[in-house]
Amino acid sequence: MCLKRHSKPARWDSRIVVETTLHSLYLGFSVALAPANAWYAFLGCLVGTLVGVLPGIGPLAGISILLPITFGLNATQAIIMLAGIYYGSQYGGSTTSILMRIPGEASSVMTCIDGYAMAKKGRAGAALCIAAVGSWIGGSFGVLVLTVVAPPLATIAIRFGPPEYTALLILGLIFLAYMSSSSLIRTLLMACLGLLLGMIGIDNMTGHFRYSFDLAELGDGIGIVPVAVGLFGLGEILSTPSADAVKEIITPRLRDLLPTRKEWSESSMPIARGTLLGFIIGIIPGSAHIISSFLSYALEKRVSKHPEQFGKGAIAGVAGPETANNAASTGAFVPLLALGIPTSPITAVLIGALMIHGVSVGPTLVNDHPDVFWGFVASMYVGNLMLLALNLPLVSVFVTVLRIPYAYLYPLIIMFCIIGVYEVNNSIVDVWIMLIMGVVGYALRKFDFDPAPLVLGLVISPILEQSLRQSLIMSNGNYLIFFSRPISAGLMAVSIGLLVLAAYAFMLKRADWRTKLAEAEAGEAEL
Amino acid sequence: MTIRADHVAGVFFIGFGLLVIALSGDLPTGNLSLPGSGFMPKIVACLTIFFGLVLALRARESKPFATLSWADAKHAVLVVAITSAAIALFERLGFLTTNVLMIFALLAVIERRRLLPATIYSVGVAGVTYVLFVYVLKTPLEAGPLGF
Repeated sequence: MCLKRHSKPARWDSRIVVETTLHSLYLGFSVALAPANAWYAFLGCLVGTLVGVLPGIGPLAGISILLPITFGLNATQAIIMLAGIYYGSQYGGSTTSILMRIPGEASSVMTCIDGYAMAKKGRAGAALCIAAVGSWIGGSFGVLVLTVVAPPLATIAIRFGPPEYTALLILGLIFLAYMSSSSLIRTLLMACLGLLLGMIGIDNMTGHFRYSFDLAELGDGIGIVPVAVGLFGLGEILSTPSADAVKEIITPRLRDLLPTRKEWSESSMPIARGTLLGFIIGIIPGSAHIISSFLSYALEKRVSKHPEQFGKGAIAGVAGPETANNAASTGAFVPLLALGIPTSPITAVLIGALMIHGVSVGPTLVNDHPDVFWGFVASMYVGNLMLLALNLPLVSVFVTVLRIPYAYLYPLIIMFCIIGVYEVNNSIVDVWIMLIMGVVGYALRKFDFDPAPLVLGLVISPILEQSLRQSLIMSNGNYLIFFSRPISAGLMAVSIGLLVLAAYAFMLKRADWRTKLAEAEAGEAEL
Repeated sequence: MTIRADHVAGVFFIGFGLLVIALSGDLPTGNLSLPGSGFMPKIVACLTIFFGLVLALRARESKPFATLSWADAKHAVLVVAITSAAIALFERLGFLTTNVLMIFALLAVIERRRLLPATIYSVGVAGVTYVLFVYVLKTPLEAGPLGF
């Protein structure tokens, strides 16, 4: 009760903010350090690292597949474990990138370039150590800002109406398309496809059935889990015959893990820049952890005194992107916890997990469920420390997992895909949807489409449609409502600015930084 | 004219957008002050057609369709066929039997593994997973006619 009074002060002066935050954090740590909760944080970090290490199972598929395991837990334990999988996978993804040149998940693509080059030179241990330390700093900074920013932001968010939500979600889609290293048109097409899939089922405002073909199971719409597991889990398996999955693995020695003084010094500023850049991008809706690592790599190359070393084992090319993707993963929790807006498919699945446990995510979360909110925040401090302790000494153990022949691994993954999808609603229709989306994912890969914007479109579709229609009803059909309120006007102005920049580059056929980055990525993939 | 990957993709998206508009026939569009349930789908379908058209028009930047590699298609078709059979049998045979059969089929048919290791692996993995979910995690799995 005391906490509830503190978390809603009449005036936000700095003393009250500090006092409230410390009181709340105390509660959070008492929740996070309870043996059962700490165990689930550890389990989440461990499984997350494995998910990140194994190519083909990204954090989204990993969380979706393991969602049923949390059904027997309470809400706090469930979110602690699933979030552990999320940020654990960011740590784990670097291992395969550095040692095998296979990105365990999409945000580790940039780490492959210089991480593997370092490994070839015998500096695999140093690259892994810098990646782990950078990830820890980026993740911890993100949690620190989340601790301070989320509660006051939630207070402001209560004033968010439909026009503000509409403007924020439109900005998210445009930002994702603008920042994407693949073509703007491809990203927007994927987002449109996701938005259309999200409109299947009963219309919330009129009760009409839409595109459900008389299937009662489609009345509630298409779930995120079957789509995500199909596109990312099964789709990857379909396009990876086991004969193609054999790769040379470099195993680092424990005594070579410590970087040299020069390597520490060359990594410090990239880590600092990656932390700030990643966190800021993480707050904006989109596949933040992927975009942030690409942007960080481009930034480091641009500011480096020796850009020619990038691609040949520059430690800044490992430190920056690895820090940025972890900072972005944590940053993505700010809009999730403060506004209740899923900024990525992963955070959408986390919202779904909390809803299954009867906890509704949004501005009222911090007051209604302080134990869940602060327990979760504190668990991220604990989890990031666990990951640092886990990743370095156990790197050889994780590498051993990669020695399991892929022919034996993928039947196991398909089995978990089926369990994961079926158990959410006990619906076989969901499993069929997963299979169809697996085939769609396979086709999308063939035609060079990134499926991530599709899932984001699916996630935000119901919120975007509802807030857009409510805004129009509120304004009696006047579109200017989005420009007449300060917050929505600001967000729309940024969206228009991004569109103008994209159109400028498109019309002049200028190869801007995104094109160059895409070319670098394509070149890397071909090697 | 060389048919390119983006020509095919663009035509697909145009067709998909048109299909959505055709399926939206019964849904009321409403008006700006009271948008109906067909309002948003029709807008997004029109955007899909527009972007599909742009993609097809700018297809010169993409690879020729004939050069796309389909070397993995056989693997994909076999995995889809075996997984489809497993999904169709899942509620009839239950979790354990279905997954033993599915893993065995994937190993024996696609991966050409010897029958004994494939049998031991499929029974072992499905069995351990069943015990883990049902007895350790207390998450019930679909039961078959024999109760498991």
